[in-house]
Amino acid sequence: MPASAFQGCDVPVRSDLVDAHERAWAAIAAPGTWLTGARRVAIAAETRRARECALCAEIKAALSPNAVRGAHDTLGALSGAEVELVHRVVADPGRLSERWAQSVLARGLAEGEYVEIVGVVAMVMIMDTCTRALGLPDRALPASQDGAPTGYRPPGAKKRAAWLPLVEPEDAVAADGPMYPSPKAGYIYRALSLVPQSLRDYWALASCHYLPGDVVYQFDRTIRAISRPQTEVIAARVSALHQCVY
Amino acid sequence: MLRESMQMSGGQVDVAQVTRGFGETAEVAHAAALAEFAEAVVLRDAERAAAARARLHTVLGPEGLVDAAATVAAFHGFVRLADAIGIPYTTAARGRDVPELREAAGINAFHRVRGEA
Repeated sequence: MPASAFQGCDVPVRSDLVDAHERAWAAIAAPGTWLTGARRVAIAAETRRARECALCAEIKAALSPNAVRGAHDTLGALSGAEVELVHRVVADPGRLSERWAQSVLARGLAEGEYVEIVGVVAMVMIMDTCTRALGLPDRALPASQDGAPTGYRPPGAKKRAAWLPLVEPEDAVAADGPMYPSPKAGYIYRALSLVPQSLRDYWALASCHYLPGDVVYQFDRTIRAISRPQTEVIAARVSALHQCVY
Repeated sequence: MLRESMQMSGGQVDVAQVTRGFGETAEVAHAAALAEFAEAVVLRDAERAAAARARLHTVLGPEGLVDAAATVAAFHGFVRLADAIGIPYTTAARGRDVPELREAAGINAFHRVRGEA
């Protein structure tokens, strides 16, 4: 088993954060809803590869992301559509478009696969960024677990507000499993709802880094060692540097 | 969210700093140091990040540094979720981010907003 992500850190790391990373890596290694464990670990590896991709750097520097043509530097374990999805989401997320998302789907990815891949990429970005921010190297990737994906698609999923189908809180059913902390959960919370297990895995990790859902809108309260305004200075600056409007 | 949290603490913030960068005069304690840390991590500048980390450790302590790192990390995930799934940005902060606020913050210059103009 690989060592803890925070091994060697020169400051003490709260135990819930350490546990969240271990649970998240285990979830990535396990069979998902549409992807096998091996494919999910391959996506994690490609997420890291994308950080060094020359084409991605060229796209990021271009005035228009559509002005650059070429091939991504890939590990070669994924399809062309998967590689395009992983690399663009890692390297230049603020300039994605609905037309681009539809072009990725048209290359042979199912909507559920697209959403599950985005969930894995986002989880790897959180964990690798957290360790790097603390001056640590990337944790070794986990060994994948055997097993078949469940293939579950929520019956209430509809394409309405976003580029991909979402399950609005009022359309969730018991078979989806627990998804939302409240019926008023924001759209960021609903983003992965086409794949409920991805949603649960993602938020178990993300809430531990930012704030749990029941605290997010309590602006006068903090449960962290930095104040709420300090938290939001970081949040706003990181989002702006990514050109994220949300 | 930044504006809301400042209002709850009785202060105000110049939201243009979100895109321009936070200076030492910001009403949030150590805002410039926090923003410098965030920028160094986003830009993957290891040397700059190490200096920013040391400064945060001094002013916030080890627990504060860990929570700052965790917050920077969280938003590396949120931005990818929002932008890859194409959730409607007009619903950000439960709809509190009105067009006037986005304009003041410089966010209307971002690709996604310009692309829909």
